[in-house]
Amino acid sequence: MSANGLPRLGSGAVVGLPRALLHYELYPFWRVLFERLGLKVVVSPPTTRDLIEQGARRSVDEACLPVKAYYGHVMALRDRVDAVFLPRLVSLLRGTYTCPKLLGLPDMVRHNVGRLPPPIILDFDETKRGSGLGDAALALGPRLGRTGRQASEAVKAALEALGVFRAALWAGLSFEEAAARATQGPLADRPGGGPSGEALRPPVRPTDWREPAALNGRPRVALVGHAYNIFDPGVNLDLRRKLVGLGCHILTSEMLSHEEVQAESEAMPKEIFWSSGRRIMAAVRRFRRAGFVDGIIHVISFACGPDSMVGEIAERETRRESALPYMVLTIDEHTAEAGLVTRLEAFADMLRRRRRKTGGEGP
Amino acid sequence: MKVTFAHMGNLWITVKTILEDLGVEVVVPPRPSRRSLEVGVRHSPEFACFPLKMNIGDYIGAIERGADTIVMVGGVGPCRLGHYAQVQAEILRDLGYRAEMVILEPPRGHFSALLDKIRYLTGGKPISRVVRALRFGWEKLYALDCLDRALVRTRPLEAVPGGAAAAHRRAVAAVAGAAGVEATRRARDEGVAAVLAAGGAGAAWEDDGEAGGGLPGRNGTPLRVGIVGEIFMVAEPFANQDLERRLGEMGVEVTRALYVSDWVRINLLLDTLRLRRRSRQSVVKEAASPYLGHFVGGEGLESVGETVLYSRQGYDGVIHVAPFTCMPEIVATSLLPEVGRDLDLPVMSLFLDEHSGEAGLATRLEAFVDLLARRRARAGAGRATR
Ligand code: SF4
Ligand code: SF4
Repeated sequence: MSANGLPRLGSGAVVGLPRALLHYELYPFWRVLFERLGLKVVVSPPTTRDLIEQGARRSVDEACLPVKAYYGHVMALRDRVDAVFLPRLVSLLRGTYTCPKLLGLPDMVRHNVGRLPPPIILDFDETKRGSGLGDAALALGPRLGRTGRQASEAVKAALEALGVFRAALWAGLSFEEAAARATQGPLADRPGGGPSGEALRPPVRPTDWREPAALNGRPRVALVGHAYNIFDPGVNLDLRRKLVGLGCHILTSEMLSHEEVQAESEAMPKEIFWSSGRRIMAAVRRFRRAGFVDGIIHVISFACGPDSMVGEIAERETRRESALPYMVLTIDEHTAEAGLVTRLEAFADMLRRRRRKTGGEGP
Repeated sequence: MKVTFAHMGNLWITVKTILEDLGVEVVVPPRPSRRSLEVGVRHSPEFACFPLKMNIGDYIGAIERGADTIVMVGGVGPCRLGHYAQVQAEILRDLGYRAEMVILEPPRGHFSALLDKIRYLTGGKPISRVVRALRFGWEKLYALDCLDRALVRTRPLEAVPGGAAAAHRRAVAAVAGAAGVEATRRARDEGVAAVLAAGGAGAAWEDDGEAGGGLPGRNGTPLRVGIVGEIFMVAEPFANQDLERRLGEMGVEVTRALYVSDWVRINLLLDTLRLRRRSRQSVVKEAASPYLGHFVGGEGLESVGETVLYSRQGYDGVIHVAPFTCMPEIVATSLLPEVGRDLDLPVMSLFLDEHSGEAGLATRLEAFVDLLARRRARAGAGRATR
């Protein structure tokens, strides 16, 4: 440990990123940032049942599945890295917070996961001046012994990658596609290399979800929920693939642009103050009005605090103001695969029947 | 306009005092009971926190008695309390109740918004009248907390339990009925004296707002247990299954880290009062810092910091109470075992909800108190006798 509480990491040292929680919102940013600071990045392996079980054993029972999975991912990194990155993500958007559990997460990990490699703990808080994503990341460079110039170049590139990543998600790409687009190419190939320029911004796929083509009777299902519940097949029991297998076309709450989220949110009497909750709420409202969405599935973690509130408002509002089928899927480490499949099949069947009845062959 | 609000311990006395002093008609909901809880649980989201469910039961009970306006506090996060109002409004609306919600948010820049709401509630009373009413209400809040503090110190000293509680009940009624600041203070002082006398302690007692002094009694200095946790669960005996009484009757002196009067000072009052409090807050924060380096909403940071402080004050143990699914307290409960190990302090976390059985709690408390007694005995006779 150096004097400032961060581990000493020379060029080429390996830093580990747990593939869980807000990894699914920020991964390209972290990857490019650390690589540009001359470090190697290792991401923990994909979530498995076993990994979740390992994490759950270290966690209090009351914690939610994503937090238990996070523990498991940190454990999976233990013997492979020189340092593990445990960001404290307080707020990613002014006027919002993430979740109380995420505010305490680095401490929970630190005190419960044994044999932890030296942690890099850093607070990111948009509600505080100078502590937002870019500013806090800027402070990291010098604290790791890099020059100010290196630090600012790294942050610039990282923010650029994040921009590409988000634009790709908003256009409807999957997490993997969007992440690859943001981190591959000139950027990752040449850590410390020159500005990336146009190569970083290949044209976005033209099939924007906002202008849907006909689907030949396949129902359009909107999956809403935290990015980590929507994107991590190990956590959500491969929900997306199951739905696609049932002939559904999938939209997700991650496809709304920041502006779309804000526009929906500001129309509410009181805006949701959880960043992810605000997006979920906005997505439900946006998809409800879209006219071409056949049903909404809200994926929530068992005993999730924010979801219990946001989900309740969203569901009641939807039932009152529309006839749109709305299903809440509660998942935890004990969720049975068979039960889930049965529910999804029933839901998809119902959507198809409704489609036929309303003659809905259009978009 | 008939105004109601949710229960939390004896807080209704304070709120009723303030509103009635301003000429507002008040409907106090029936005391929380199995029935109100059942109503609340039936209509609330499954994973909502327990206080939200209890609130719903209270509101429905009050609406059935004629209330048409609900006053509650709001918030800006990070925890759920700040969104209670929206969710509760949705629930009541879908049930067909037409109650208006007046949400008092802690001032955040726009103080005028808060004033507007108060003006609305009071039919445009001048601000000086509002301040007077708040002063009056504050006096009652403080008096009630003093009575509670006297009770938890006296209970373990009683040969036959019940006398102190009866004196406390009478004193609470006297404070509730007191017609002015002076009368409230008198009722407070007389009440505190009566409660203490019931325990035969007769010791001089001064409210330092701090931990109990460990009044010596016939059985030596009682075991001392600090209570930390989420404020509603700490302050509402129905929710915590009468935790303080149970412990008191087992001969344990209980201290609550956070009284409602403290919470009001920290969360609702203006900056001048907050400043006085800041020193205490920073002590708690600093005590928590080896374990938790950031606030986590609710009382999560306090639960950790206060536990450390109890250890420094030589307490025998700490009980941590929280509602099931409570996020800040899940953070705290993840850290408390290590705090306990480091400081050699027994800490027990109780996550309670509508499914928690009484028998289970009694057994756990007994086991915990036994453990503390054994440790005390082992630690040597020197400390155990006076
Ligand atoms: S938002 Fe919900 S799922 Fe995510 S960490 Fe918080 S409680 Fe868990
Ligand atoms: S602190 Fe706990 S009880 Fe209070 S709002 Fe938050 S989760 Fe609910």
